This record gives sequence, C-alpha cells and structure tokens, in this order.
Amino acid sequence: MKRLWIAAALLVAIFCAMLYNTHFLCRFSGELAQALEQAEAYAEQGDWRRAESMTRQAYDLWQSRDSYLHITLRHADTDLIYSGFREVLEFITCQEAGEYSAANAKLLTEIELLYEAEQLTLKNVL
Amino acid sequence: MVIAFVRTIILYLFIIAGIRLMGKRQVGELEPSELVLALLIADLAAVPMQDFGIPLLTGIIPIFTLLCITMILSVLTMKSVKFRAIVCGRPSIIVENGKLCQQEMKKNRFTVDELMEELRMKGITDISTIKYAILETNGQISVLPYTNQLPVTAEQMNVTPEDVGLPLVIINDGRVLEHNLRTRGFDRNWLEKQLAQRKIRHSKDVFLLTVDEQNRVYFVAKENAK
Repeated sequence: MKRLWIAAALLVAIFCAMLYNTHFLCRFSGELAQALEQAEAYAEQGDWRRAESMTRQAYDLWQSRDSYLHITLRHADTDLIYSGFREVLEFITCQEAGEYSAANAKLLTEIELLYEAEQLTLKNVL
Repeated sequence: MVIAFVRTIILYLFIIAGIRLMGKRQVGELEPSELVLALLIADLAAVPMQDFGIPLLTGIIPIFTLLCITMILSVLTMKSVKFRAIVCGRPSIIVENGKLCQQEMKKNRFTVDELMEELRMKGITDISTIKYAILETNGQISVLPYTNQLPVTAEQMNVTPEDVGLPLVIINDGRVLEHNLRTRGFDRNWLEKQLAQRKIRHSKDVFLLTVDEQNRVYFVAKENAK
C-alpha cells in the first residue's frame, strides 16, 4: 500500500509542477507583453529611446529565464522569440515605425502562443 | 551530436530503472497493462533521443507518469480481484475434458492453428488427452493432461531418489563467491584442498565449481588452464 501512496503522490506532484509551469508561463508572457506594448506606445509617440529601453527590459527578462524556457519549451519556439526580439530591436535602432509595429505584433503573438499551447484546455488536449 | 550521446545515456538509465520497477517478468509474459507500458516507453524515449529540438523533459515526464500509473495499477491489481479482472482479464478455458470450447476461443480470437502450435510446443499432439487447456491472462497456455496421461513420479514407483538440493556456485569464471562458500560451511582452506586434488594451483584457472547440499563438488577447469 505504501508503494501506491508514493506513486500517487509522485503523480500529483508531477501534475502540480505542470500546473505551476502553466501559471509561470501565463505570468511571464503577461509581463513580456506588457513591456512590449508599452514600448510600442512610446514608439508611436516618437520616443524611440524609451521604446528601446522597454524592449531591452523585456529581452533581458526573457534571457534571465532562458535556461528554464529552453528546458520546458520546444527549442524552435524559444529560438523564434529570440530572433523576434533581435528583429524588433533592429527596427527600433533604424526607427522604422511600420516595420517595427509589424515585428512587435508578431513577437507579441508568438509569446502569447507559448502560454496558450501550455494551457489546460479541451482544445489543447484534443 | 554530443546532445544525442548524453540524452541516450540519460534515457537508457531512466528506462532501465523503470523496467526494473516492473519486476522480473519476461517480455513474453507481460500483462496487457505492462505491454502497453513497454510499447509507450520505447516510443516516448526514441523521440527526444533523436530530435534535439524537443526538450528532454517532454520524454521524461510522460515516462515517469506512465511508471507511476503502472505502479498504482499493480498495487490495485494485487489488492482487488475485481480490479485485476478488469485490467488483466480472466483466464479462459479453451479445452475442457478433451473438448474444444469454441465460444471461448472465438471470444479470445484464438485460432485452432494457434492452439495446435502451443500444444505441439508442449509435446502434445492429441487434444483428447487434455483435461484442461487454459489461456492465461499473459497469453500463455497452461495444459493439464488427464491423470492417466501424466508422467509416472518416483513416489508412484516407490523409488526414493537422493535429494541433492540446490547446488551453489563457489567459483564462477575464476571468481570465488565467498558468500556461497560460507553458506555451504566451507572456507578457503577447503577450497584450496579441492583445487589441489584436481591439480589446479589457482582459483582463476577454474571455470565453474559448484557444491550441492550433499557436499558433492562439480568441477570444470578453464580450457587451456592446465
């Protein structure tokens, strides 16, 4: 009977860890999205310096969790976001408003999709 | 490529640990739930081993989950007869009193050819000599012949053969198994005497040496040792 409880406890622990991972991704992607939206608002006002600062802040936040994200997410997805950040930062440097807006929107969508793919929903299960 | 190397080692060790948890059954004797586990583990391990774009965790977590579920199922099947019947099924009587139970065979999708093959493997060619043939839950067939078809035992013949008991291996390919030596109540001096009687200088020159409960020694020297 002891084995049964140990196995059941481990199963519950795995499930809880997975739920925590989903919760972490929700919070993390929310923070990133907020910073990127703020950066876009600054860019629309013509304040490219602050837009760059906010985007770099989001990029640093992403890099600070790089190992965890690399362990838990598909590498293709993390690489896509990494290259997305580089693209957005380059458009900010060039001050290309239209291109920046499109690249930023794409990056935001990719970040949202990361969390959505991990959500415990019927759509994802099926 | 070094990723593939490291991942293969990790997954291999992880699966060995998992299979050890399943117990000492042979692959051919797996219950349905264990067979499913073995098939799934093999597939789950192969994907992250080959595709470096997938995190190792996506292989390890499902394997670990499967092992936990298998452990829960195995404990529940031990505790509950009803649960065991649901998960593992029940044995089916295929032959009863020398007659084929066609309904049971149809229910288990068991063909006459398969039955004949299994019986031949057990040295039986005549179904009418079988009292019971039972299809076990692990897919094996147990055959119980009529009493008059069973081999004669020593007891039935009033013969008392000598019971040699379990022979213990004392030297295995040149290595002395001290624990077995002590279990038989002997020491190194006894072993050296035994080797000297056989004109062997060192235990490294012995391929196999066993001692049964009657203290009878079976000895095989290594080829080209003498």
